[in-house]
Amino acid sequence: MSDDHGLVEMQPTPGQKLAAIFKQREVRVATAWGVLVTFIFFIIGGWIYPSWMPIAMSTDMKSIERLIVIFTWISAPICGIVLGFSIYTFLHRHKGDTPPVDGPGIRTNGLVVGLWVIVSSALCLVAIVYGLIEMNSASAATAEHKKNALVVEVTGSQWAWSFNYPEQGVVSHELNLPINRPVEFRIISVDVNHSFWPVQLGVKVDANRLQTTVVDTTPNKLGTLDVKCAELCGLYHAYMETSGEVMSAADFNAWVTSHQGGHTA
Amino acid sequence: MTTLDHHTSVRPVPNPSKSLITKLNMGTGLVVGIFFAVATYYGLGGDSAGVFENYNRTLLATMFMWSIGFMVGIGAFIGPFRWLIGKDLTDEEQLYLAGDGQGIKRYFKYCTDHKVVGIQYMVGVMVLLGVGGTMAMMIRTNLIQPGSKFVGPSIYNSLVGLHGITMIIAMIIVVTGPFGNYIMPIMIGAADMAFPRLNALSWWVLFTAIPVLCSAWFLGGIPTGWTAYAPLSVQAGPGMNAFIATIIIFAVSTAVAGANITATVVAMRAKGMKWNRVPIFVVGATMSVALAIPAFPTFMVSMIMTGLDRSYATTFFDANLGGSGWLYAHLFWIMGHPEVYVILIPGVAVLMEIAPVFVRKPLFSYNAAIAGFAGITGLSVLVWAHHMYMSGWMPMLNGPFMVTTEMISVPTGLIFLVILGTLWRGRPWLKLPMLGVYAFLWNFLIGGITGLYLSDVPADNYLHGSMYVTAHFHYTLMGAALTGALAGLAYWFPKMTGRMLHERAGYISFWLVQIGFQFLFLGMFIAGAEGQPRRVADYSINFATSDLISSVGAYMIGVGMIVLLWAVIHSWRHGKIAPMNPWGSKTLEWTVPYPVPLVNFDTPPVVTSDPYGYGKASN
Amino acid sequence: MSGKESTMTASKRALSAVIGVLLMVAVVGVVGFTLHSASADPHKRLYATKSAETIVIDGKSYPKATITMGVYADTAQAKEMGYNTINKKDYVQYGPSSHIVLPAHTYVTMTIHGYDGGEKLNAPFFGKVVGTIGGTMNVDGVDVSEIPADQVQHTFTIHSLPSSNRDPLFINIPLQHVDQGDKGALPTLDKATNFKGHTMTFSFITGGAGEYVWNCEYPCGDGTYAKFGAAMSAYGYMSGKVSVA
Repeated sequence: MSDDHGLVEMQPTPGQKLAAIFKQREVRVATAWGVLVTFIFFIIGGWIYPSWMPIAMSTDMKSIERLIVIFTWISAPICGIVLGFSIYTFLHRHKGDTPPVDGPGIRTNGLVVGLWVIVSSALCLVAIVYGLIEMNSASAATAEHKKNALVVEVTGSQWAWSFNYPEQGVVSHELNLPINRPVEFRIISVDVNHSFWPVQLGVKVDANRLQTTVVDTTPNKLGTLDVKCAELCGLYHAYMETSGEVMSAADFNAWVTSHQGGHTA
Repeated sequence: MTTLDHHTSVRPVPNPSKSLITKLNMGTGLVVGIFFAVATYYGLGGDSAGVFENYNRTLLATMFMWSIGFMVGIGAFIGPFRWLIGKDLTDEEQLYLAGDGQGIKRYFKYCTDHKVVGIQYMVGVMVLLGVGGTMAMMIRTNLIQPGSKFVGPSIYNSLVGLHGITMIIAMIIVVTGPFGNYIMPIMIGAADMAFPRLNALSWWVLFTAIPVLCSAWFLGGIPTGWTAYAPLSVQAGPGMNAFIATIIIFAVSTAVAGANITATVVAMRAKGMKWNRVPIFVVGATMSVALAIPAFPTFMVSMIMTGLDRSYATTFFDANLGGSGWLYAHLFWIMGHPEVYVILIPGVAVLMEIAPVFVRKPLFSYNAAIAGFAGITGLSVLVWAHHMYMSGWMPMLNGPFMVTTEMISVPTGLIFLVILGTLWRGRPWLKLPMLGVYAFLWNFLIGGITGLYLSDVPADNYLHGSMYVTAHFHYTLMGAALTGALAGLAYWFPKMTGRMLHERAGYISFWLVQIGFQFLFLGMFIAGAEGQPRRVADYSINFATSDLISSVGAYMIGVGMIVLLWAVIHSWRHGKIAPMNPWGSKTLEWTVPYPVPLVNFDTPPVVTSDPYGYGKASN
Repeated sequence: MSGKESTMTASKRALSAVIGVLLMVAVVGVVGFTLHSASADPHKRLYATKSAETIVIDGKSYPKATITMGVYADTAQAKEMGYNTINKKDYVQYGPSSHIVLPAHTYVTMTIHGYDGGEKLNAPFFGKVVGTIGGTMNVDGVDVSEIPADQVQHTFTIHSLPSSNRDPLFINIPLQHVDQGDKGALPTLDKATNFKGHTMTFSFITGGAGEYVWNCEYPCGDGTYAKFGAAMSAYGYMSGKVSVA
């Protein structure tokens, strides 16, 4: 009432509410654990995880490695929240052989639930949008390079790969590619399902019987390529691997002409 | 052994001496089943000079006739047949079927008591886990160093495929089988399941599938993984028929069990148990089996089509003649993805049931838990082609499936919210069941986050078909679902056996399994990130360290699970006698004594609140 | 009412635990041993015969060695050729062993006698000779560098997991098929002239020590998908190991 001098109750501001929450010891300790965990996952995502992955020899592989780093960083605070609360409550456990006394009868907290849903949906949206943008730019790059691409027809057969270069008239069991030239892989299987996986190029697609699947990339770094089969195809699936090299254009031409019937463009 | 008899009432022990049902049991089932199988095998020409299609037909027919024969021999069809001819089973015969007064013999008969079926499922699951786990030890021994020196490639591929399907079957039934059958009806205040005879049917049909699955080893094994992709499955040798028959038989069992559980929960809850008072375990178990009912038929269909391609040279999956391998992949994964949630949800639901009891706080936001389960269940039928991102079937649909797949992270996050909210401001009592909650929080966090990478199409270009995928799904299926099941075992052991599970052995087992688990699968994540493909008998030397770490972890798990097995067997026979409610829980199953009376409750309970009324109420 | 309290002492319980765990570990061990034995190569290894000669290729000198194998349509034919196979199934098979041992850094001359008929290769690449000296092989006295895809009976293809601890080795040898109309090439009952079929001889240089695998890349299994079932999918008939030591 307006003439009740000085006895009006002030509602706490949101800032004061937050400060009051953080004044509680349990909140501070749990938050500290959470921050520590977030930091650990940040380091894992940024430096340890990438150290396990092979050398990127195409922009596709590079963007995969970048995506893994970024998704780990997005997940780090989630890990922090989950593990921060877990560690705190674990350390704050009841010891003894009889059950503890009842805790506070908290049934729900609308603000927490609502905030959780909104934030997790937002993070989910970020991941979705990031992924869609990546996919879009990859297919745009493909469309652009299709005309100039070196075509390699990949045949998966139980249990070895063979590569046919129609333009060069070469067939080989090794996948050699010239650097910086877009390459279009056309993959097919003559028997069961295989999966063509040139590891360092960051692309993969199944080899299906009588159905050609296509994948494009551009190798942009010199070095050795590993080509593996990523779909169980029977007895010697483990041995269905070969290697190859990304080499300079001159070396590639030399390799082509060293094959009987091979001719450069 | 404790007498597991629960004949406590004043009515006489039923003994309908003239009735056929008193003479039938697992033994007669075996006799008739083997007779049918042998007769079919030789009647159809046995080896048929090895002609591929004929031999497949013969083997499949033999396996189905074994199953049907066993069911005939154990008396599964007597009830329906008597109903058909208008001479339904008498009350005394029904009581006999319920195992009244038969002591331990009723576990080897066609017993309709849900508590007996629950124990039967528990033993069955233990056998499957033992067989599957042994195979896992073999796999990891072969991979302990490069060179594949332990087993050859054919046996290795069979180990991988059969380990996979054995564990998948075990995981599907690990919670809803023992606890969904034994505990759930008591928890909702019912006297038994809605369809007790179907309950016995679902267990015994599953039982017949076990020797069929094991027969694969004697028929040359299988060259495929548990996904049994065509066309490799059509090319495969005779052992593939065992896989096909097992799945078809198992699908029957699961459909029956799923329908039974759903009907029971919908129709037989105690008076006053409104939907918002149903324990979360019951909700989760029901949603899981309700999801299985539409999903598993496509698995059955995919197996029938594979069987037809092999036995009658149909061309469902032969691209040469108008079929398509992608057709198989779709049918399989339309089952395969919901199926992992069928496995996950009951395990999580058990942990949500355990947490309030051991923290003495109400379950945080029951509604969020429901929303989480419902969101997962609903979305899970829309994501299946994320297993096929790299198959090349239709690249432009990869985007939409990525969207639906990543959306599942939102309801999954609610599960974390519910459990964390339950823990927060409580003082957890870290008995063995509660430890499972903490293991889950870590394991499912890692499993979920690694799933995020896999759900992203560009990243899947690298990760698909590598050991990374294997590590991810073991973290979720084993680290979350199996952990939940084992927590449930520790939690409900007193009610199912009347004894307490040996505590120290339980802790030793828990830590061995969980620490070994981290070594095994974190090592595997590294191998996958480094580029090791999955399902390979041999690998390049640069993966040697990660594989060694993994194999050591596997042995730790093996020892830990063996310790748990000892603890279960030992405690069942010699454990401390359990009080009626050792954990102080508020759900209905803890209000009945052990041995639980045949009809569970002397007077049907009336429920006035949900079972989470701990602490001073606020809100 | 439901069972007796246990009278087991703590030490007795611990003993029961230890014994129980050891027993179950032993069971797993027995299973492992059984599988390991079942995976053993059915044959003894086939060693290349070293010779005293050397040969100079590209300025480097290599010792020489030879090795001979045959591929038979079934067990009966293998036995006729004098190879006592202990393979359990009556499939088409290479003999006398599926595990060959070659000396390292050696000029190896391999001879394969092929007695089988054939249809058409699934993957045409495997009709080419790859990895031999000169890129050719000698078929009944004539040097060829490839065989048409519909004249192949089997292939002998050596490959391996590329790995940093062994030298790469990739050899592909298509075997000329025995045309059923070619009376001169069919096996005869006369043991003296029984080595009919076609004889393929080729040479290659081995690298350092390492383990490799070989398999046939020709669809000679049963009537299943791409004809790669049965013999092609069972280890030890049309697939095996190559040890370079």
